[in-house]
Amino acid sequence: MTDPALLPAGVRDVLPVEAAELRALGQALADAFGTFGYREVMTPLIELADVLGRADDQAAGRAYRLFDDEGRVLVLRPDLTIPIARLVATRMADHPDPVRIAYDARAVRPPTSGKIEGAEQRQAGIELVGAAGPDADAEVVAALARALAAAGVPDARIAVGSVALVSAVLDEAGASEVARAALWDALHARSVVEWRRAAAELGCTGPLGAIVSDLPALRGGPDVLDRVAGAAPTAAPECGRMQEMLALAGRHGGPVPMVDLGVVRDWSYYSGVVIEAYAAGVAVPVAVGGRYDGLGARFGRPRPAVGVAVALDLLHHAVGRAAEREGAGVVLVGGADDLIEEATRLRADGVTVVGVPRDCPDPDAVALADGRRHVVRREGDGWMVRDVISGTRSELGDLGAGPWT
Amino acid sequence: MDLRVCVPLGALFGDTLEVLDAVGLPVAPLRDAGRRLIIEVPGGPTYITTRPSDVPTYVESGAADVGIVGRDVLLERQPDVYELADLRFGGCRMSWCTPAGDDPTADAVARFGVVRVATKYVNCAERFFESTGRKAEIVKVNGSVELAPLVGLSDGIVDLVATGRTLRENGLVEREAIFESTARLIANRVSHKMRAAELDDLVRRMEQVVA
Repeated sequence: MTDPALLPAGVRDVLPVEAAELRALGQALADAFGTFGYREVMTPLIELADVLGRADDQAAGRAYRLFDDEGRVLVLRPDLTIPIARLVATRMADHPDPVRIAYDARAVRPPTSGKIEGAEQRQAGIELVGAAGPDADAEVVAALARALAAAGVPDARIAVGSVALVSAVLDEAGASEVARAALWDALHARSVVEWRRAAAELGCTGPLGAIVSDLPALRGGPDVLDRVAGAAPTAAPECGRMQEMLALAGRHGGPVPMVDLGVVRDWSYYSGVVIEAYAAGVAVPVAVGGRYDGLGARFGRPRPAVGVAVALDLLHHAVGRAAEREGAGVVLVGGADDLIEEATRLRADGVTVVGVPRDCPDPDAVALADGRRHVVRREGDGWMVRDVISGTRSELGDLGAGPWT
Repeated sequence: MDLRVCVPLGALFGDTLEVLDAVGLPVAPLRDAGRRLIIEVPGGPTYITTRPSDVPTYVESGAADVGIVGRDVLLERQPDVYELADLRFGGCRMSWCTPAGDDPTADAVARFGVVRVATKYVNCAERFFESTGRKAEIVKVNGSVELAPLVGLSDGIVDLVATGRTLRENGLVEREAIFESTARLIANRVSHKMRAAELDDLVRRMEQVVA
């Protein structure tokens, strides 16, 4: 028989301490997104593979697949952007532009061995649909910065690249389809070395040659974009647009993101700016996103869109222990039978009361296991309070005046 | 925090130290490390020494910010790290090698539909035979790969060839080159952004040194 503790690869249970911290994180992110007017939606865990496949050829291949009664292929959603693009394009097709959507949900992907990301990923994100300008990109970056700060990540850093910009530079360089494929492969493999090898074959010289060769290693402030625009006029509009976005993002009050043209995304639907956020102590980006203007059309309602998703489990590693109220709440002996009314009164005052029966064999153990500091029992007309951490006992006249209020 | 550098023990160790030294990193403590695996240089970097195949693991997981590793290991492991510079030393070639005499490869495919391959580089071997339209039966071995075809375990081996001496001594010859490998500088995805200026500077200096 299978060991009852066994779980499929890449998934795990979340116990009370972690669950409370994850919920607090999710709430902090949702509240921050909410200040920009993003409203939460929920999409189903399972989707039709055909529908998902409209968005990305590989989408169904990257998902767990199952079959319904009629033999149709279903998938467990491998990301949230695709289902939300579907939802906005169909259920909210008549909503005036722009649509601001938030979500906090789990995506499921078959696990890759040796990778940090599990098979089940909690993602809290936003999508801004029906807004094409750099102001929309800037708002998403600013909302992300605000959300990460609200979640308690003091030193998050945000980098932005652009697949449209890279594409425009390759247009300027006259790259063939074959050369493009090799260069994109190198970029996705994050290999500057391979990129340079492939770029050398384009035979560009002068400033354009230098820009093409260095592209994935180009990063820094807005001046990087001046260099690209100067050497590759075809890319100048996208450079100008990014500079505008950076200026607008700065005016939102957060840190100005770093330009990094080596940043790419692994879903093919991204079409413009791409966003990554990093936190010290977490080995992979804690948030990723970007512009995906073509996705709406694949679901029958063309609308430009941009969004970003925070990986909650990863973000959790970047924040300190939640400042939970140490030892909050009280274990009331008899609170489950003799003293239900007293328990109810205390709860009405906002106190956490764990009710145990009068004959509970070891209420102290219950208190210690759940992190409750005090155990109270009726004694004569008053109450006896035991502090399970210090081991001290004290008498109390009025239950409402205990150390837990 | 100080830069954490993952240094491969073994064949690349000596040249790695030379490059680190040439770009101005203190390497004397690394030379005198003895059996220590972590060497913290006061006011300088922290070195983590591992076997070469573990370097990408340490860098990918963020235990080290940067590392030096052969391209062979990168192609085999396919870690999600930035490959920032070709350091040009540690040159060698991944090759398909079989016993001297008639090449048994074509015969194996024709008669049995499959080539039996012994290797430490399972993924590289699999991709190579797949990309050349041949079905391979891969046997993973952990050391002395040359032994496998001599005792009939496989038709040949996929392995790194530097000077070719080990091959000759075991009566094997290179049949098909798969790829060339040299040492590479790799960086963790997040370190690459959080320490952008520092790493860009390191890459620039290393490229000058090895040019």
